[in-house]
Amino acid sequence: MKALLTIEQLSIKLQDKNILSMLDLSLNEGDILGLVGASGCGKTTLLNTIAGFIKPSEGRVIIDDNFLSDGEYCLPAERRQVGMIFQDYALFPHLTVKENIAFGISKRSKAEQLEQIDRLLTLLKLNDYRDSYIHQLSGGQQQRVAIARALAPKPKLLLLDEPFSNIDARLRNELMLEIRQLLKQFKTTAIFVTHNKDEVFTFADKMAVMAQGRLLQLDAPSIICQQPNNYQVADFLQLGSWLPCQVNLTIAQSLIGKVHLKTSDPKQESLLYLLVKPSNLLLKAATDENNQANAQVEYISVTEQGYHYYLNSIDDPANDKSLAFSKLSIYSDIALSLKQKVALSIRPHDYLFFDKPT
Amino acid sequence: MIALYNTKTWTLLSYVIALVLIIPLLVMLAGGVSASAQLFLHLWQTVLPSYLENTLLLAFWVLLLALFFGVLSASIITQTNIVCKQQLRWLLLLPLSMPAYLVAYLYTDLFDYAGPVQRSLRVWFDWHSPSDYWFFDIRTLPGAALMLALVLFPYIYMLTRGAFEQQDQNLIRASRLLGLTAKQSFFKVALPLARPAIAVSASLVLMETLADFATVQYFAVNTLTTAVYDTWLGYGDLGAANALASILMLLILFVVLAEQRSRAGLRHQSARPSLKRELIQLSLGQQLLASLFCWSLVFLGFLLPIVLLIIMAVQYSDITQLSALVTTGGNSLKVSIFAATTAVLIALLLGLYQRLHADKYRKIPLQLSGIGYAVPGTVLAMAMLSTLGPLDHWLNGAVEFFGFTAPGLILSGSLFAIVFALVVRFSAIANGTIISGIKQIPQSLDYAPASLGVNLVGSLTKVHLPILTPTILMAWLLVFVEAMKELPAVLLLRPFNFETLSSQIYQLISDEMLEQGALGAILIVLFGLLPVVLLNKNKEKV
Repeated sequence: MKALLTIEQLSIKLQDKNILSMLDLSLNEGDILGLVGASGCGKTTLLNTIAGFIKPSEGRVIIDDNFLSDGEYCLPAERRQVGMIFQDYALFPHLTVKENIAFGISKRSKAEQLEQIDRLLTLLKLNDYRDSYIHQLSGGQQQRVAIARALAPKPKLLLLDEPFSNIDARLRNELMLEIRQLLKQFKTTAIFVTHNKDEVFTFADKMAVMAQGRLLQLDAPSIICQQPNNYQVADFLQLGSWLPCQVNLTIAQSLIGKVHLKTSDPKQESLLYLLVKPSNLLLKAATDENNQANAQVEYISVTEQGYHYYLNSIDDPANDKSLAFSKLSIYSDIALSLKQKVALSIRPHDYLFFDKPT
Repeated sequence: MIALYNTKTWTLLSYVIALVLIIPLLVMLAGGVSASAQLFLHLWQTVLPSYLENTLLLAFWVLLLALFFGVLSASIITQTNIVCKQQLRWLLLLPLSMPAYLVAYLYTDLFDYAGPVQRSLRVWFDWHSPSDYWFFDIRTLPGAALMLALVLFPYIYMLTRGAFEQQDQNLIRASRLLGLTAKQSFFKVALPLARPAIAVSASLVLMETLADFATVQYFAVNTLTTAVYDTWLGYGDLGAANALASILMLLILFVVLAEQRSRAGLRHQSARPSLKRELIQLSLGQQLLASLFCWSLVFLGFLLPIVLLIIMAVQYSDITQLSALVTTGGNSLKVSIFAATTAVLIALLLGLYQRLHADKYRKIPLQLSGIGYAVPGTVLAMAMLSTLGPLDHWLNGAVEFFGFTAPGLILSGSLFAIVFALVVRFSAIANGTIISGIKQIPQSLDYAPASLGVNLVGSLTKVHLPILTPTILMAWLLVFVEAMKELPAVLLLRPFNFETLSSQIYQLISDEMLEQGALGAILIVLFGLLPVVLLNKNKEKV
């Protein structure tokens, strides 16, 4: 499939600080990309650069074979055919719903404008509010107007900056599905920024994880969840807990047992971290000779299915301190008490080991 | 912040305008600095020490009195259960609309030896000559200070009241829980928290005092402003006038810097101003005293002077006065409309430049253009004369060189000089209002038009200017009213035979004939009420 957006070696330096470094990204026509990352990682800067509000220090932004930024050349924002939905919606308070939607298509004929406005008002269920002012609408309605306004000029690419952050949690999911359907209907390519991974799972076809101005991984959300490519991605997405292991060729030794690797770890690191999901762990409350206690309960919360525990390693002078673990997350229907000692073991699964970045 | 646009014409225009607005001041300062040492020595050996002493003494007394009136009244209104609080809350602002020279004249008329008060006293007590009794002399330096304080204290009242009302009530509640009584909490928490607002308002009062010309001139108190006026008009010595004006400007610069220094790091943000304040309950005696104090300020600062003016107007107005009023009023309107429109256009150009342009130093033009507000009208007039006079001569020379008839003093001898001076002096008001309006517009609205394919012109005409319309009207009105009231700059710069309302009233006051201009004076007060009403409305919205 043809790439609609291509970003090559993009770097942004603001006040001698690297905000984005050598970033590459490609997006196919009709794709919806969810951009996640911690606050300050450069997500919004990337969006603003694509929109044309920030001039890149280096690199190129290409949409549909047209260069938007390349070296000193930077096409003004208003000529990029890139739409944007702002976090606060940026709706014009002095205009009605209808006038807001017509804002970006004022150069078209009146008949065309009306047709487009009517279509969007109907699609977004805003017909009853066409002559209302923005302050007369609810948060959800305002967001619909923002979407209608952004879609009216038929942008090649739509950027959404944390579009759901101001929406009530109960409405959010419903609205996300609705907007996704709409974007698909319009075959609109979109990038949306969020720091909520769950929003990406609901809304996006692809997911990109950013940290410190770099793109760490770009793939389908399901693939990233199954195969995160580094420690930061798995850690940011909270895909599991971390169990320190001493790896020696095909054997990884931890405080809750050893696991045999199918092949020797190519990184040849001595201390690596195994990503363990709650389902990868086996918990036994009763300890005996075969099931020696190797962890203790540090935190308990009640869930609908049973209990959620955080377990720490037992403070034993005989243990290798570098292998001590904390906050291993596990769900169980066994009732335990705080500081209770338990036996924990690892179920066989596809092991994922990572270096911990310093 | 990400800046959006990068047009060179806008940058050039902004810097040129800002420079044009401050060039007269620079020329005057250069004239003052380059004045011969001999001239300074002469001034120092003759009049300068007494001018300086009078100026500083006047500033001290006005500040002391205005602080007493302003802080105490703001405290009573916000912290106690005084009766008629809602009425007093805005009535205490009214003296702001009263020019000090009018109050000075009216009270002199009232309390002078020949005035109705002393006349009545002499009749009642059968006194025959001044040696029979003591009565305070109002035409003195303390008298001038009292007149100025009576009309300037609302600055302190307004800002201090605002500070008290915006204070985080949880701080007050915390102090009460820690064992302080309501009064102790006021003195140990509320008052120290209001210090930044008091400092700002005090500096405003000081600037207005140092800039005052008509009151001190009428009371024959020689300060630096009157000295500049006399040196130029009386002795025609531009160099000495420039030198005195420069000293005055440095004195004001010192006030501005001192205020900023005293306030550094003292900005208090309020998180919960809307929580209900616990009021100090006044006893009956305290109620009476507090009411007497507040109502006296309203009475002496506004009600009595306006009633006296109305009586004068009713007794002395005739048709000739009305026709004179139409002419001078028309002149005032003309000058003020030009000044307000120009100042607002400049403020918009520079304010939007600051907001939308990519220039790294985009704040500088706006900051430069506002400097004139700290400059007294007298000093500004000197600056205009020092700049436009030589420019006129150069222009005339150039025109004659090409064989045409010299056009005369087209810059320094026309309305241009007055309008220019008013724009320099009041640009800061337009700037402040426009910038506060621009700040209300969310940053995302700057970007939204571009994301919808609309360019800078479209963005300005369809988004920014329509949203700013109420702010633009407010800024225009505020400058318009200030320009209507401005006296010293107009007095020194007006063309021959050209009178505005304020200059005519000043002339009549000088000739002890205010009765002839009472209608015009009422008109000035009414115009002065407009911003007071607007300010009060805005404060109530907060």
